[in-house]
Amino acid sequence: MYAIFKREFLSYFRSPVGYVAIAIFSFLSGFIFFSQFSGGSVNIASEVISLTSFFVVIVPIITMGLLAEDKKRGTDILYYTTPVSLFNVVVGKVLAAFALFAVMFINVIIHIIVTLSCGGKFGVGAVGTIIVFFFMAFMFITIGLFASAITDNQIVSAIVSFIIILITQLITVISDYVGTAVTSVATVLHVKSATATAIGNAIRKGIAWLDPFVKTQDFRLGIFSVSSLVFLISVGFLFMYLTFRVLEKKRWSQS
Amino acid sequence: MSKEVANNNNVKTDNRADKLKLYSIGSVLLLIGIILFVNILFEALLGNALTFDFSDTAQNSISVDTKNYIDSLTPDTHIRVVGLFSRPDNVSGTPYQYIIPLLDDYVKQSDGKITVEYKNINENPGIISELDPTNSYDLASKEGCFIIQCNGNIRIISPIDCYSIDSDYYYSTGVYLVTANNAEYTFTNAMNILTSGFSSKAYIVTGLKEDGNEYISKILDSLSIDVEELPSSDSFAIPEDCDLLILNGPNGDITEKMYVAMLDYLNRGGKMFIAIDFNTKNVTERYERLNLLANQMNINIDSAMIYENDPGYQLNGYGIDHTVTSTDMFTGYASIPFLHATYSRSISARLDPSSTLNLYPVLQTSKNATLVEYDTIGNVVDNSVDTTGQYNVAMYACGNDDSSAKMFVFGTTNFSSDNYISGYGLNDSNVDFFRSCIKELTNSGENASLNIATKAVDDYMLDSTKTTTSISMTMMVIFMIVIPIIMIGFAVLVYAKRKNL
Repeated sequence: MYAIFKREFLSYFRSPVGYVAIAIFSFLSGFIFFSQFSGGSVNIASEVISLTSFFVVIVPIITMGLLAEDKKRGTDILYYTTPVSLFNVVVGKVLAAFALFAVMFINVIIHIIVTLSCGGKFGVGAVGTIIVFFFMAFMFITIGLFASAITDNQIVSAIVSFIIILITQLITVISDYVGTAVTSVATVLHVKSATATAIGNAIRKGIAWLDPFVKTQDFRLGIFSVSSLVFLISVGFLFMYLTFRVLEKKRWSQS
Repeated sequence: MSKEVANNNNVKTDNRADKLKLYSIGSVLLLIGIILFVNILFEALLGNALTFDFSDTAQNSISVDTKNYIDSLTPDTHIRVVGLFSRPDNVSGTPYQYIIPLLDDYVKQSDGKITVEYKNINENPGIISELDPTNSYDLASKEGCFIIQCNGNIRIISPIDCYSIDSDYYYSTGVYLVTANNAEYTFTNAMNILTSGFSSKAYIVTGLKEDGNEYISKILDSLSIDVEELPSSDSFAIPEDCDLLILNGPNGDITEKMYVAMLDYLNRGGKMFIAIDFNTKNVTERYERLNLLANQMNINIDSAMIYENDPGYQLNGYGIDHTVTSTDMFTGYASIPFLHATYSRSISARLDPSSTLNLYPVLQTSKNATLVEYDTIGNVVDNSVDTTGQYNVAMYACGNDDSSAKMFVFGTTNFSSDNYISGYGLNDSNVDFFRSCIKELTNSGENASLNIATKAVDDYMLDSTKTTTSISMTMMVIFMIVIPIIMIGFAVLVYAKRKNL
């Protein structure tokens, strides 16, 4: 696993991908930081949580080549022939992308240092947002990795992960539409108005419950919720398992 | 025969593939089910217990005082809090930012005594009649507010009630500057009002060119006292249910009709609180009738401003902005005996007092203060600077029993004005002192309100000397231009070196 981690992590810096990702992250985090700094107050917690909304751009760039590139070159055959388990391959690649996120996060650490040197505040609440930032990064990396596993084209992989992450960002909006639609359909089917509304609301809430961004919004207020972290990590493991199954499929389909 | 065997072998291979496919799909579906189940279970069982408030000023947690109050309630108590709106998914940056997470903590810590729900009026129109069957509160117009219901009674809390706004800043800029978070103070006291059963009625006289009464109303409300305004008019009369009459910073004198009504009220054992200062709006006002009314309680409202000469009492080096000390009898009214008075008017004892009343000085200057008198056009009267000595800024007069009249007269509005309280907050010692005076007048005692500390709002301000425009621009150039360009440079370099590999 360490060998895969090392290979993937170093490959980010042997190709333009890692540098481009850091450049984009630096620009976006710098923009948020500058917006606050020029206003005379900096809330690091708010900056970190705001950065999670840019995963939709950064994660596809980082993860698009993780498995798709190997498939394209045919080097993925090594996963099946070397004495390393496929799950370790998946974990190694996730850790490599995760480590790149840690490198990118140095930007925010510089922002924290600047904030403190300018008399600003960096409290425990902000530490909580950093923790949730990395949990979200883990979850979205696994989504990106899954997208990379289902195709041998990096562009397709990037588009698929972009779409999945975009959908997660729009879950609440989608839930509103679905809830309204269900209420309307129920009304058309002569269901009592109150019941139709209740069904619509229940479906809306059910879908909105899946929204990782809503679950983590309150972290910026200093509220640290372990259940949100459990959600993020469990979804991450789900996508890791999905990726593992996709790789496994190739093993037995080839046989 | 050999063909049949081959076909059978093919069938076996397909079956295995199908089984593996089925296993793959089944295991994924099972995992999804387990994940959903575990998350729902975890959230339901441990979600609240494993949610922590890491905010700098514990904005999202109830204090020990509130916890003690909740613990003191009987187990069968049920306080229902209803937000008349759909719960927002993201409260950050909204007026509910410091309210909704706090209410979650009320629920978490109350062992079922407090429930919170959110009902959009449009989606749940029945909630209005459910909370207010007689439609006494016009809840249809209270969308966005919180309703607290207990023992069949309700209290309405608007989000704006939960914040202190700097009124000076607002008047000069038109922008609301939140100076303190009063959410816990407001909610706990509202709950206490409903559960204690104590209630009283205060009327605040308006129409005397006074400034606002917003904060004094909030304070009285937190003391279980219903507040209503009583406008000055030709038909001025004090209602029978008046337990307390307040004149908060009038800049004009009362009318003859008001004087008669108030005198009658005092003769019936009425309780009055008068706060009056010496500012540019009333410098020429002699308050003859109001003074005559105060005289009935052996108190005299002087037409002179106090100038504090003792540097130890002066604030910021100004004699008109100074400290006053509470007298021995009133030291317990606030946590500290040193209070803040500005543009104070001298309050003195009537020269020929009635012997049936008790008169007490409440707040006093140092022994080194003087009085400055002004003429009717607002100029300092020549040689008017009075003898150096100790002067009263507030006095209290009362009879020998609770049924007799009581009156506090303050020569400063620093204890009750919107201008002062909005700047210094509801935790200020002056406000504490004012609360104690009201408790004394209404006999509400200590149980009428809970001293819940208001909280400072999160402050992320930077040192202004280090956030100049040039430094900001430097930050922008470094973080948004220099670092990204360096990284793109590396990317181009790596690409150029490796493109032919």
